Amino acid sequence: MTLTQREQVDNDRSRFDFHDDIVYLAQTKRGLTRETVEEISAFKDEPAWMRNFRLRAYDHFLKRPMPTWGGDLSHIDFDKIMYYRKPSEREEKSWDDVPEQIKKTFEKLGIPEAERKFLAGVGAQYDSEVVYHSVREELVKLGVVFMGTDQALKEYPEIFQKYFGTVVPPEDNKFSALNSAVWSGGSFVYVPKGVEVPLPLQAYFRINGENTGQFERTLIVVDEGAKVHYIEGCTAPLYATDSLHVAVVEVIALAHSKVRYTTIQNWSNDVYNLVTKRAHAHEDAHVEWIDANTGSRLTMKYPSIYLRGRGATADIISVAVAGKGQHQDTGAKAVHLAPDTRSRIVSKSVSKDGGRASYRGHLKVSPGSTGVVASVRCDALMLDDQSRSDTYPYIDIQEDDTTMTHEATVGKISQDQVFYLMSRGLTENEAQNLIVQGFLEVFTKELPMEYAIEFNRLVKLEMDGALG
Amino acid sequence: MSPADQLTGLDFVTEATARERAARVDEPAWLLADRLDAVRRFEAVPVEPNRLFTTYLDLRQVHFGELTPYDEVADAAAETGSLPAGASAFLHIREGAVAGRALSAEARAAGVVVDTFANVLRDQPKLLGEILEGAHTLPDDDVFAQLARATYAVGALVHVPPGVQLREPIVVRWSLGEAGRALVSRTVIHLGKGAQARLLEEQRSSLESGTRATADDRQSLWSGTCEVLLDEGATLEVAAEQDLGPDTSSFITRQAAIGEAATLTWALAHVGGLLVRSRVDNLLEGRAGTVRQAEIGFGGAAQTFDLTSYTHHIGRDTTGDLLSKGIFQDRSRGFFKGLIDIQRTAIGTDSFLGEFAMLLDRKARSVAVPSLEIDQPDVRRAMHSSSVGPIDENQLFYLETRGLPPDLARKSIVLSFLEPVVARIPLPEAQDRLRELLDRKWDAGRTALAA
Repeated sequence: MTLTQREQVDNDRSRFDFHDDIVYLAQTKRGLTRETVEEISAFKDEPAWMRNFRLRAYDHFLKRPMPTWGGDLSHIDFDKIMYYRKPSEREEKSWDDVPEQIKKTFEKLGIPEAERKFLAGVGAQYDSEVVYHSVREELVKLGVVFMGTDQALKEYPEIFQKYFGTVVPPEDNKFSALNSAVWSGGSFVYVPKGVEVPLPLQAYFRINGENTGQFERTLIVVDEGAKVHYIEGCTAPLYATDSLHVAVVEVIALAHSKVRYTTIQNWSNDVYNLVTKRAHAHEDAHVEWIDANTGSRLTMKYPSIYLRGRGATADIISVAVAGKGQHQDTGAKAVHLAPDTRSRIVSKSVSKDGGRASYRGHLKVSPGSTGVVASVRCDALMLDDQSRSDTYPYIDIQEDDTTMTHEATVGKISQDQVFYLMSRGLTENEAQNLIVQGFLEVFTKELPMEYAIEFNRLVKLEMDGALG
Repeated sequence: MSPADQLTGLDFVTEATARERAARVDEPAWLLADRLDAVRRFEAVPVEPNRLFTTYLDLRQVHFGELTPYDEVADAAAETGSLPAGASAFLHIREGAVAGRALSAEARAAGVVVDTFANVLRDQPKLLGEILEGAHTLPDDDVFAQLARATYAVGALVHVPPGVQLREPIVVRWSLGEAGRALVSRTVIHLGKGAQARLLEEQRSSLESGTRATADDRQSLWSGTCEVLLDEGATLEVAAEQDLGPDTSSFITRQAAIGEAATLTWALAHVGGLLVRSRVDNLLEGRAGTVRQAEIGFGGAAQTFDLTSYTHHIGRDTTGDLLSKGIFQDRSRGFFKGLIDIQRTAIGTDSFLGEFAMLLDRKARSVAVPSLEIDQPDVRRAMHSSSVGPIDENQLFYLETRGLPPDLARKSIVLSFLEPVVARIPLPEAQDRLRELLDRKWDAGRTALAA
């Protein structure tokens, strides 16, 4: 490739790789002990039930062995990680009150711009605490609650306690136990009966500080007949040693509600991203996970939907791009627990420069769930000879009245398509870029426009150097 | 329950048993060493070696504790029994004895060997060593493969010399089902360069068709192997038809090493038995090797079919085409576990894995895990697909408009779903017998349900 072609590739990673020196006002010691957990709870002045919940989770975390499947977790050193760090004392209500340095970080991320575009609300997470939060008055009038999870625990204790930990109990897995013990920050959304939130709610996440664990906890409750679209996206600065991101997201979609949860994950390539995301879909509810993973060193994330009520439907679109040194172990789970439920899983993965993309999925139809229709489709594209791709679909059907189809293909980028595009004047890299973007379009087209643009830019960044 | 508990009562895989078996037929030292190596591996490996599949392992139906293995398989020195019509060779092992052994004049003249290890060691002392010594013909990590390799009471060798093309199929028949007994065996099939052969393996009940062993309700078991070695350009078709009795479980491990430009075709039908555990490993080692595999399971009552297949692409330009189909009635269960493994060296691979099931009753269950691990992106094709569903209403409607009563229409759809495998059985009589078997199985399932 000539230098000119090379220069046409957007190569500016610095927009995403930055960190600032912050004086932390409260932080725990490195490492995890019972005292750390108690200390976090005390910092936050939490009710006794939450403190006990954390301790129960901590006990389970100790007992539970590390998973031996999926990615390589052997380099995580739980003793080197700082479990809690609070950048400023109180939650900021207006943009002007946000400390200058944090503001600069957000400016690079484009948050004020997003607000100008009338996106519904902005919840920005800087390290372990929500520092900036504004909810548009319109939403307040509708009775929609959108705030930091810590704040919600204090202001909406009843809804909070009713639903918290019911979808993902601490005992679910080793990392949900860890998150339950030390969680901090994240978003809380409550949409009252019949309310349709007209614009997407969005929260930006940031990891800052070397070896800072990010253990946010998100709880979304959508009441009967309500509708909401929640978006999270994240970028993180690059560091030499390992960072850990262990989040839990719980979504409760009550009868006849509609929820869409969109994620663009772009952690820097030293982050272990181990996330448990699960939704309960009640009668006639519709839940969608739209999930893209381009960053991190290792991601293990399988957004799940438990279809609990008759007529519930689920859509999961999962996209992963694995570049040099990356392992994207992602997928989806649909568990049919009620009659006449439907699910559709679409997974697309791209691996390049020695990256590894794995699809791990689970489709289960329990006895008694009659009239289920389910489909799973996974496609993988490999751009060079060093990369690898795996597919592990689990399909467990225990009801005769089920219609299930599953298909998967794996292939190289088509040289015919590259040739065709190059004959139209595109460089080889541009042609590859376009083909990959087309391959991922099933995901991109589900995004609001500005996200689609940003996502395509991320893919282009990832694609840089695909031709060496 | 822990996986190890699934083998509770299985206590005969010991060094003492291995030595005793070897001594009975005066095996050479290398063969004893092979048995002892297997004993060590048996003790070391988990019941399900692949973590992808551990969730779907359930051997609780098998009462290992009530099974006594045959110590030896007695053989009359001369040929016994006659050749089945149209076959070139015949070996029949019934419980603890060789019940039939015959070879056509043509096969004998060509140097074809179809006999027990004991006889081969006596008649052609070097042959078995040339084929087996130091060869890894079974998966090292498989507990049942190692069980058979450690304690087999009888070994069967099929050897087709280079360049020999056998038109008529070789028939190997296993009959068993006596209450409380276990038959442990190995089968090794070696085809020399450019050789061609077809083999029909029958596993049948030694009792009256479909009946139980009188008042004795102890179970029985067959643990066997099929170890295939194909030299350059060899072509082998293996068809296996399993119709064991309702109290017999079977554990069979098949592994094939497929050399350059060699072709292997499997047609495997599992119909009878209580619990059937089958594992097939296809090693496409040579350039341009091909494997085609079609497998069916037709379950009824409380039967379990645990069917695993691996396609390991190692050489360049190899082709794998695997199709599994299952029909599950009543409370039967099917676990289809598959893995396509495309290794770094396997440039130009074409691989397909399909797992399709029909569930006919509320309590039937099907699990499909068609996995792919791809370390070499330069593939011609790598894909898998699976489906599970009831009988297609449109097909049913079509047949009913043609005047078929609903029950007959359903039966036709089910049987034609399985036909692609039936059609691959080499002998016409064997094909017809399998069709009858499937036909009866359907009727029995419907009767049981109506009762």
